[in-house]
Amino acid sequence: MSLRPLLLAGVVAASGILVLQQSGMNPFAAQEDPFAKSTPVDSESVHAVAANGAQQHPAPSASSSPVSPANDQVAQATPTNSPTPSPAASGPVVDETALRYFAARGDTKRLEAEIARLRALYPDWTPPENPLAAVPQGDPQLDQMWRLYSEGKIADVRKAIADRQTREPNWQVPADLLDRLAVAESREQLMNASNIKQYDTVIRVASSNPAMLTCGDVDVLWRVAEAFAQTDRKPRAVDAYLYILRNCESPEERLATVQKALDLLPRSDLDQLLAAGRTIDGRSEFESVLGEIARRAVIASDADPTVRVSAADIALVEKLAVAGGARSDDLMLGWYYLQHENPKLAEDWFRKALAKERDAAAAQGLALALINQDRPQEAEDILYEWRDASDDVRAVYLAAVANMLAIQPAPDFRGEVLQRIVAEVAKAQDAASAQQLGWYADSLNQFETAERWFRTALGWKPDDEPSAYGLALMRWKLGDQPGVRDVQTAWAGRSERIPTVGERSVETAAIRRRERDRLEIGPSADPASPRPVHAVPGALPQPLSPDRPRLPAAESPAERPRSEVHQLYETPTEVSSNAHRDATTQAAATYLSEEPEVARRQTRRQKSDRGRAAGCRSTQDPEGLSPNAALSRGWCLMEANRPIEAAKAFEVALRGKGQTRSDAAYGQSLAYMRVGLTDMAAVAATRAPFSNSRSVEINAALLESRANSAFQNSRYVETLLALDERARIVPETLDLMVLRGYAYLNLVRYGDAERVFRAAARAGNRDAMRGLNDLWAARNPGSNPY
Amino acid sequence: MPGPAKFFMSVLTLMAFASGAFAAPIAADEWKAYRDKFLDPSGRIVDTANNNISHSEGQGYGLLLAYLANSRSDFDTIWAFTKMEMLLRDDGLAAWRWDPEATPHVTDANNATDGDLLIAYAAALAGRDWQRPDLTTAATAMAASLAKNSLETVGGSVVLKPGNSGFGAGDRRDGPVVNPSYWVFEALPVMASLDPKGQWAQLTDGGNRVIATSMQIGKSRLPPDWVSLKSKPAAADGFPAEFGYNAIRIPLYLIRAGSRDRALLESFQKGMADEQGRLRLVDIMTGATRQTLDDPGYRSIPALIACVLDKTPLADDIKTFSPTDYYPSTLHLLSLAFARRRHPECL
Repeated sequence: MSLRPLLLAGVVAASGILVLQQSGMNPFAAQEDPFAKSTPVDSESVHAVAANGAQQHPAPSASSSPVSPANDQVAQATPTNSPTPSPAASGPVVDETALRYFAARGDTKRLEAEIARLRALYPDWTPPENPLAAVPQGDPQLDQMWRLYSEGKIADVRKAIADRQTREPNWQVPADLLDRLAVAESREQLMNASNIKQYDTVIRVASSNPAMLTCGDVDVLWRVAEAFAQTDRKPRAVDAYLYILRNCESPEERLATVQKALDLLPRSDLDQLLAAGRTIDGRSEFESVLGEIARRAVIASDADPTVRVSAADIALVEKLAVAGGARSDDLMLGWYYLQHENPKLAEDWFRKALAKERDAAAAQGLALALINQDRPQEAEDILYEWRDASDDVRAVYLAAVANMLAIQPAPDFRGEVLQRIVAEVAKAQDAASAQQLGWYADSLNQFETAERWFRTALGWKPDDEPSAYGLALMRWKLGDQPGVRDVQTAWAGRSERIPTVGERSVETAAIRRRERDRLEIGPSADPASPRPVHAVPGALPQPLSPDRPRLPAAESPAERPRSEVHQLYETPTEVSSNAHRDATTQAAATYLSEEPEVARRQTRRQKSDRGRAAGCRSTQDPEGLSPNAALSRGWCLMEANRPIEAAKAFEVALRGKGQTRSDAAYGQSLAYMRVGLTDMAAVAATRAPFSNSRSVEINAALLESRANSAFQNSRYVETLLALDERARIVPETLDLMVLRGYAYLNLVRYGDAERVFRAAARAGNRDAMRGLNDLWAARNPGSNPY
Repeated sequence: MPGPAKFFMSVLTLMAFASGAFAAPIAADEWKAYRDKFLDPSGRIVDTANNNISHSEGQGYGLLLAYLANSRSDFDTIWAFTKMEMLLRDDGLAAWRWDPEATPHVTDANNATDGDLLIAYAAALAGRDWQRPDLTTAATAMAASLAKNSLETVGGSVVLKPGNSGFGAGDRRDGPVVNPSYWVFEALPVMASLDPKGQWAQLTDGGNRVIATSMQIGKSRLPPDWVSLKSKPAAADGFPAEFGYNAIRIPLYLIRAGSRDRALLESFQKGMADEQGRLRLVDIMTGATRQTLDDPGYRSIPALIACVLDKTPLADDIKTFSPTDYYPSTLHLLSLAFARRRHPECL
């Protein structure tokens, strides 16, 4: 007799057997089963099979017929289209041997499973009211086989059958026992295949043996679901998990079902499963998994910032972090907020983690959170202890150093802090930080020290143009013309700006600024000697060169007259309009400067110098002014950050001649640029001839603006074209390198993006580090870098 | 090519040996002795000389011998183990190695095509003779998978990959590499009957060509176990250039499949046996003896050649069977079973 088609037609939900006919629920509907299409041979000869082709149907057989539910038609077959005689038609003989055996042993679990199985096979069958009643079968050997079977000793059953057949050649094995053995063996095969990740085999075996897909053996269902998920059939995996949640009762198994699905299914699918959960006493039966799911959402979004995390998920993880106190939750939230540009919250969580246990990872996160809040000094302070923990931590430490050195106005660093920074920079031979130390020394007017640091930076990174530029500039400030020429000769053809050192308004302005600073500090400060602040120690590994003596002492304990400095900054100083103009020209020039750290420094200084804009504080129509007066007013307005009015003032100044007109055109184009009117800036730039250096600056700024606007409009190729054009006239700034990196990233030129981000990140640029992170996320969708 | 070629048709007729009334060519006591020594109650054939591991080849031999001994229940035990523990691969073939000490027991999911051929062959025979459509169905699926995944064409010849991965031109510098003793020739027409679309006849041709050409590699005039077909056949890298434990099966398989090519079989006979009829493992390049094997199972192979060609009677300890180690004992029963069925005059 062939039971399979009837079984498949007759399966009912109550049986606990996976209901394959339920629409949309058959996880096997399209599964190919090579065994299903093959044809058993007739009993004459193998040869005959070949001749007759593969159309024959299996001869009815006591053993299970390998009809597969793989094929929908078969799965939904009714007895009428079954090719084999329907046992139902003639009234099936139900083999109750196993049933009675389990009843006799008091094995209620197996007894119930057997009743369910027989009901599924024979819908019209009713179980005996008292299965124990008819127990005596008088076949102890068969009982023994059932006992072995019930103990899971499948091979021993086979052996017992073999032995008995040897002894009693006419003994017939009960079909039920053979069926059960076949199912048990298939289960083993399925488990073994699952263990070695042969997922197609798992599905093939399951589809050939739907009888083993029951709530009584949830592990099999889990394996099948996993096999679907691992072979890109996630909807079928969802069906299989949902089957368990809709039909199986064990709370532990239900919970474990969702836990297993966690690793295999995307969130949207998981939500489907969660929706099938039950509510017990007002709480989801899956409550304990919800936290894990929320955590995974946070981690996923950490790896890919474009993945949104619901407020509910975040709130849940925060609640768990507070309630459970798990440090891993603190860290996870720290990284999440860091990634999502909320460094203050990131700081809070990293501090919590650090309070529970001090380690490098938490300190690194905290340092990044602090750097992102423009608090690099604290970052340095915290991370110093962990600086050698790993390359990553060291990179963050050096970034903190670079950032703190770039703070303007240059803060007072404690001597020991400077000492250790210098030691670390020297140890790491970090050219970027050495360069920063150069600029820092420069900002303290310690030009000789600055010169030494730039030289050191060049020693570590000979092709570092900004350091060479700094070196030339410092030598020029020190009046070392031969030294300037040395650098200029060495860099001939490799830098646009180094040859102009000594010629340009930037440098002129720098000298003026020095003079101005001296005025502000007070007459006691001798420009020839350093200000009485902590000196920047010279580069330790660099032997002092005899021709550059008078390095400031490394441990000068004198305190900077801080309050006085403040007062001076905030008191409007009477300066000539000429001084205004120089200051603003310098500000404008550095605003456009190729050296971003200088630019940043100056941007901040501008803020401090705000009071100096008092000269144009009133609103005045420039129309009545002379061109020269209008020009001064224009610079003053620029300094006050009122570029629209400045543009009008420059318009009046354009009526002048010669240098005045040229300056006015220059100023106007800067003014328009500042408000983003690039086209008008370009027009202004054509209204008078500029000096070569100004023309370079304006064009560079225009190209930068074009690159930015192209990027904002997602025109990445144009972004790159503008950047390339700009790079031909001036070196690329770190910020623009980052822009370039993102353009590459958006064009999926990951290799190029990585090269650019790395270069900028090495110089301590935070955005570049973020860029590397984004690049990593783009390359590894769905992963968590932490 | 002269020699071992045209024998498949006769094989088919040989194959069809009396499905109904066949007297088992392996006696019940012989099978019992074999079974007691090498068949674990779980249904696995234990390679006693190899850390008691099992492999698909052993399962295939076990199934074939159980079939030849007409022991259906032992066949079922071996089959159950094979199916549960080794027929796990997504392509329907057997994982080749099963280690009782490892978890999971299958440590390498690659297959070995000789094992696959033996398993499919035994299942096909048992399915046919014992009216077991489940076995025939399984054998058919394996035949189709072998035809689809395990054959490749090299220099115009269809050859058998030793395993589905690891031996191809892309896997080894000297790839493709084949093992001439993996051609279980007697199984190929049976595979063809199960899977008529497969290149089974071509595979027989290819095997004969591989054997003939690899016998030309060294002056021993014997084929090595492993042959590189990258250009002119050569002993494969990383294996001894040896007519070894693998290759000694080749003449047995040829004879069982019906070959009576005297020139070919004589060159095996001369090369592989010493004056006492002991089996030699031979350095194929020099012809020097690497090892001499005295086990009656090994000696049964040159003895069978002599029987087939010259009706030379088998020695007493070859005529009877008593188990030694898994491998020579298996070869012994295969030789003996064939002699009993086709050459009773040698007994």
